[in-house]
Amino acid sequence: MSFLELRDITKRYGTLNAVSDVTLSVEKGEFVSLLGPSGCGKTTTLQMIAGFVEATSGSIRLDGRDITHAKANSRGLGIVFQSYALFPHMTVFDNVSFGLEMQRVPKAERKDRVDEALGLVHLSPYAGRYPRELSGGQRQRVALARAIVIRPPVLLLDEPLSNLDAKLREAMQFELRDIQRKVGTTTVMVTHDQAEAFSISDRVVVMEAGRITQIDQPYRIYEHPETEFISRFVGKTNLLPGTVQAINGLAASVSLAGIPVEIDAGGLVSGETVTLCVRPEKLRLIAAGQGRLPGRVAERYFLGSQWLYHIDGPLGTLMAVTPNDGSAPLETGVPVGVDWNPSVVRVHRGRLAEAPDPTLEAQ
Amino acid sequence: MTRNGPLALIFHTLVVLFMLAPLVIVCLVAFTPENTLSLPTRGFSLRWFQAVFHHPDFVQSFWNSLWLALLSATLAVALAVPAALAITRWEFRGRGFLNTLFLSPLIIPHLVLGVAMLRLFALVGATGSFGWLVAAHIVIVTPYVMRLLIAAITGFDRSVEQAAYSLGASEATVFRRITLPMILPGVTGGWLIAFINSFDELTMSIFITSPSTVTLPVRMYMYATESIDPMMAAVSAIIVGITAVAVLLLDRVYGLDRILVGQH
Repeated sequence: MSFLELRDITKRYGTLNAVSDVTLSVEKGEFVSLLGPSGCGKTTTLQMIAGFVEATSGSIRLDGRDITHAKANSRGLGIVFQSYALFPHMTVFDNVSFGLEMQRVPKAERKDRVDEALGLVHLSPYAGRYPRELSGGQRQRVALARAIVIRPPVLLLDEPLSNLDAKLREAMQFELRDIQRKVGTTTVMVTHDQAEAFSISDRVVVMEAGRITQIDQPYRIYEHPETEFISRFVGKTNLLPGTVQAINGLAASVSLAGIPVEIDAGGLVSGETVTLCVRPEKLRLIAAGQGRLPGRVAERYFLGSQWLYHIDGPLGTLMAVTPNDGSAPLETGVPVGVDWNPSVVRVHRGRLAEAPDPTLEAQ
Repeated sequence: MTRNGPLALIFHTLVVLFMLAPLVIVCLVAFTPENTLSLPTRGFSLRWFQAVFHHPDFVQSFWNSLWLALLSATLAVALAVPAALAITRWEFRGRGFLNTLFLSPLIIPHLVLGVAMLRLFALVGATGSFGWLVAAHIVIVTPYVMRLLIAAITGFDRSVEQAAYSLGASEATVFRRITLPMILPGVTGGWLIAFINSFDELTMSIFITSPSTVTLPVRMYMYATESIDPMMAAVSAIIVGITAVAVLLLDRVYGLDRILVGQH
């Protein structure tokens, strides 16, 4: 049995199912992220684990104990809130010490453990300050120290980094993972930021409309998204609608707006509509007249380590990303050939209901 | 901060003068050695203050008012804290009604309240009771407390309480250690404004005080209808002094901006 187990957890508000039949097993010491757009039920799921929201049905077991209906203050979990939720009228030391006080830890031990926790988050010199005297990143660390000092069986992080600016967020991601490894606490993090989820999680749980759509290692989710939604939500992707023309043994020939493309057959039948997904960094831009598709550079964006190109072609606009290797980028307007390795193409059966929303992908 | 132009500066000075002049003049008159209300042009004297302290009615009324204001402000706060928490945080039937009910004494003229209370006291046979006087004052000061508390509680981050709760605190502990300290500026500010309003209340109190419960403003009013002498100014100066001390104390401890503007 796993350390933390959610079984068929459902939360209903009136007729609305905020969370439906969520089943998830988290191993001891694991770092798991719940990833999804806002309103997908990830925060509600976290709050049910925390005990702030009661599950309508289903069960939550922690270390073999059923905590589905246990009160939040008897679960002993460490929680870091999006707003940090520090006690504004207490010093950093008192904030961190509060949980130990509630556990009636003797004063001397309390001091040692608070010092240790503050040391872990590099805030020892700030013990006497008040939260309002700290920067956003420092408040974040206090919140983390306050949550881990009680040595919780599970650490819950609710969008812990979303209030920090981009540079600090990245630094804190690695630090968070580093601290989590040091203390070895089982961690469940909620985030809408896939980069955050991917970079520091052992496993990522993708949620959509109150349901789990895929649970896997970050790399596997990125490379093998199980649904079209995931391939759109996780990273950028080119979605190419097509029709299966013919099956030749293991290969299938798909027509993309009249242009034939070979893919793995994988159970497809002739005449079926499919959507091919190709990540922008998997597209190769080569000399005009070569490759699988013709195209023309419509726009280019400099991303520092990479170039992002918009390529106009017979299938509409494709995104292609090439590493910035120091050579001159392609000029806008020049004709190019677009090529890819057949093994990088992911196939979804059926056609897109509507064109992907670029703002959704950008997340 | 933008600097004021000369015209604005003159205007602001006039407004401040207009507001402060009566206070300053009354306080000055209190020190006059003369027998009439006049500015102390021929030296200062404390004789009118002595007169107040040797006037048993005034001393009695002062203690009446002080106890009345302390009790009604404290009880109003005790009543308003749970009410404001409930109204601000929970959706329940009758929430709007309750909110309006608590604030309604603000829009009912004190004169009307006075007549109504007089009739009520007569009905329940409570004429002259100090306890019922306190109750009547609670009615008129509670709206002020409610306004400040609702301002303090609105915008309160509930996750702070959830954090304390998740760290193992009981609900009572969360209230005592987290919620109450965080809304304390609103509580204290509400208490002070309630205290001042009660200490100062005349219109309603005229109807419902009995000879043994006459408050200081009522005593002053009764006295002034018969004769006007500098003792009135001395009593006024004492009231101004007490209020000023209370306000200064509060400013020292919390900062008036924070309390009255509702910033944390």
